[in-house]
Amino acid sequence: MRIEHKSWRDPLLIGATVPLALIMILFFVVPLIMTGILTFQSSRYYRLAWTWDLTIWRDVFGHSHYWVVMLRTLGMSLACVVLSVLIAYPVAYGLATRLGSLRHHVTILITFAFLTDTVLKTFGWILVLDQNGVLNWGLSHLGFEPGAVNILFTPTATLIGMVYNLAVYPIFTLYLSLARIDRDLQLAAYDAGASRFRTFFEVTLPLSRPGLYAGAALVFVLSLGAFLEPKVMGGGNAPMASELINQSFSTRVNWPLGAALTLVLIVIGSASLALSAALTLRRRGGEQGRLSDVG
Amino acid sequence: MSDRSRSIFIDVLLVGSVALFLAFLYVPIVTLVVFSFTGSRMLTLPIESWSTEWFGALLARPDFFPALKNSTLVATISMIFATVLGTAGAIAWVRFKFRFQQTFRLLTFAPLLFPQLLLGVVMLLWFSVLGQWLGFSTGLATIVIGHIVYVTPFALVIVAVQVYGYDETLEDAARDAGASGWDVFREVTLPLLWPGIFSALTFSFLLSWGNFYVSYSLGGTMRTLPTFVYSGIAVGSSPIYPALATLNFVPALILVIVADVVRRRAACRNVLPEPT
Amino acid sequence: MPSAIIEASRIIKDYGSFRALHSVSLEVGTGEFVALVGPSGCGKTTLLKIIAGFEEPTSGELKIAGSNMDGVPAAKRPVRMVFQRLALFPHKTVRDNIGFPLKLAKTEKVEADRRVRAMLDLMHLNPSYLGRYPAQLSGGEQQRVALARALVSRPGVLLLDEPMSALDVKLKKSLQAELKNLHRNLGTSFVLVTHDLEEAMMLADRICVMRSGRVLQVGTPSEIYYRPVDTFVASFIGDTNLFPVSIANGQGGSVAFSSPIIACDSAIAPKAQCSPTIEGDRASLLVRPEAMRFVEAGNAQPFATLNGKVEEFFIKGASIQFRIRVDGHPVPVVMDLPGTPNIPAAVGADVTIGFDRSDVFLLQE
Repeated sequence: MRIEHKSWRDPLLIGATVPLALIMILFFVVPLIMTGILTFQSSRYYRLAWTWDLTIWRDVFGHSHYWVVMLRTLGMSLACVVLSVLIAYPVAYGLATRLGSLRHHVTILITFAFLTDTVLKTFGWILVLDQNGVLNWGLSHLGFEPGAVNILFTPTATLIGMVYNLAVYPIFTLYLSLARIDRDLQLAAYDAGASRFRTFFEVTLPLSRPGLYAGAALVFVLSLGAFLEPKVMGGGNAPMASELINQSFSTRVNWPLGAALTLVLIVIGSASLALSAALTLRRRGGEQGRLSDVG
Repeated sequence: MSDRSRSIFIDVLLVGSVALFLAFLYVPIVTLVVFSFTGSRMLTLPIESWSTEWFGALLARPDFFPALKNSTLVATISMIFATVLGTAGAIAWVRFKFRFQQTFRLLTFAPLLFPQLLLGVVMLLWFSVLGQWLGFSTGLATIVIGHIVYVTPFALVIVAVQVYGYDETLEDAARDAGASGWDVFREVTLPLLWPGIFSALTFSFLLSWGNFYVSYSLGGTMRTLPTFVYSGIAVGSSPIYPALATLNFVPALILVIVADVVRRRAACRNVLPEPT
Repeated sequence: MPSAIIEASRIIKDYGSFRALHSVSLEVGTGEFVALVGPSGCGKTTLLKIIAGFEEPTSGELKIAGSNMDGVPAAKRPVRMVFQRLALFPHKTVRDNIGFPLKLAKTEKVEADRRVRAMLDLMHLNPSYLGRYPAQLSGGEQQRVALARALVSRPGVLLLDEPMSALDVKLKKSLQAELKNLHRNLGTSFVLVTHDLEEAMMLADRICVMRSGRVLQVGTPSEIYYRPVDTFVASFIGDTNLFPVSIANGQGGSVAFSSPIIACDSAIAPKAQCSPTIEGDRASLLVRPEAMRFVEAGNAQPFATLNGKVEEFFIKGASIQFRIRVDGHPVPVVMDLPGTPNIPAAVGADVTIGFDRSDVFLLQE
């Protein structure tokens, strides 16, 4: 790969970077800063008041209600991470090593499902999990009593929806890691007398760590903002942080509150991403030394 | 267990998990397609009679066509912006080296690491404050901006993969053969990056088309198809939503397959066997 | 020499603080075949890229066909290049690859098609290949298409950047022969970059040996082989024997020398550089392996003899190579004899070897 060194006077570099950077600054960075600023304001009579104080933060940290919802969000997100990674690992491994010519077709199928309208898919799950839904209908034909599985509008359903929508991310990152492992390394381990399981734990798993960390962090971050799943599949019975944020805009019209809750989630998410990056870099630093080619 | 049977066990486990995952992915999708052809109002099995009446019922909804029009408009504009900006950004990511490159990378990749709802909310706050100052309210334009911010990083990553595998000696060869800068771009650079760009176009369009969160946050009173469905199912389920799903899937599946064919055909050609 | 088509004078190329070329000068005559050889990193490819127009020299002057090339882009130079990894356009058919330079030059379609077919014919490629993509061709066929693309617009100079380094030996040999033929028939000047001196000897009219950004020697293959300027050039091509000697008496082109291991009546040998030599200077006596032979009692005594023990031997096909350990010499002496089923000496045998005065050459250190 030939890399061209460019100075900021080069019109080609300006053309390639400045419009995109401007859009991201104007509609992503500035809004983030604005969000931070808004957390120091208040809401009076459904209108924003520029008060510059800590009222909102005292509110957010002072009410047990927010704590409960935040902890529930963290718990659900962690559960979602564990389940997604457990599902994603064998799928990514199978995809990377066992499917041969079928791999492309499977990839298309996964991509297509990923790109399909989330609201419709969520609605599809309702039809599946409903007491009179597809799942129970199928089970009743296998001899179970009608309505045996009654999980719609419970946190279990929420979790199924979250895993359904997010497991694709670790599959993707793990696939990238696993497909890059030199098969000879595993053969060398067998050759040295290691069993298949031993080889997996000594060679494959350590080498797939970057994909594992990246995938886990992505699922965690994205699940912090899950909204449709708890609302539609969970029936709104166990609201997550996103529901509070949504309410603070729609029913309570309290922007500073929404901003503060959003900021809390962003900070937690960024911390988890930083942790994953640090874990990956610490591992890779000694092994490869080329940190810039992650992209 | 012998080593041989153990290795067969592992093969079955891995291939089986892929199959199970595909089944998991397609359970709700297939369910929707099946129910779109029901003859009953109830969305329960077994289906007693089949019909296509719900497609008609969907088209007869007065708020369907505005949503369809909005979705098409938003997805088309977002697709163009995201792909053009993403392609330019991908070249800067991979082929250039410049001051503040890491900042640029972080800036253009970060939205991908954001839950969509939070992305939408953060932008909503900004647009609301701006709107109070400048006197506008959220609508189609803000949806489009939101989609561009959300979709461009995806397009960038897809094109960057193509740029990464790109052999610049081919550009030298073109120049050596007498090509001007524009000739090089038209004859070599663009055709070789095209599979990536085409994937980016497809991805951008579909991501924008199916996007709920950003449209929901930034749409104000404007509805796109996903928010149309969301507000619909909040009121009560109806077979018109499975019908909409079926209508949605067919063109999307065709697009995804075409993008893959374009990419694979180019990949077959572009990999020169090492001369031996 | 015919009039020069390439005149490079005092070319310097710096990459940051690294100097890739130290004031290199080279002339290539019209219709001449010149090879640039040297180990990797010697600057040969940099020089080629400067001629092609992909790199700007830091200083120095480059003229092609009499015109100064300062600021002339690659596309506008009367030279074409065959790239190391060929750089065939994967998205274009063989027809479009070869015809690309003509398309850019806006050559009329019928004429372009005629010339593409003529190139195909010249390269012994089947016309049915016109519609194929490069990936559907074998390595040797790709090579020919790359040559055809470079030659189709009849350039004054063809630059070849190690185009055969990735091929297997057999294919390489046949393509080398073809390249030589092509050069003879076309009358185009060829400049070949290679790290394989054998290839250069086989193909080129003149060879330019480079090392660390400097030109060490420019000369015909025979001059490079038999009259190298220094021990580096001498050992760059295959096996060679270099015996350290001290100069006993130096004057003119031939000097007397002495060595503790070489038995010799009147030790006088031709010398490489014309710098004055002083008694006691150190030098190396160059003797090529094929100039060595066994000395047997009763036969004519050669100019010089050495005593040693056979360490090992290999059948190389047309020749047998012996490695003989000589006391007082740090590395085995290499000797190539014409192949014969009767091996003249066994491993471990004590032998006397010798060489004639006409086969020696002194290199000053």
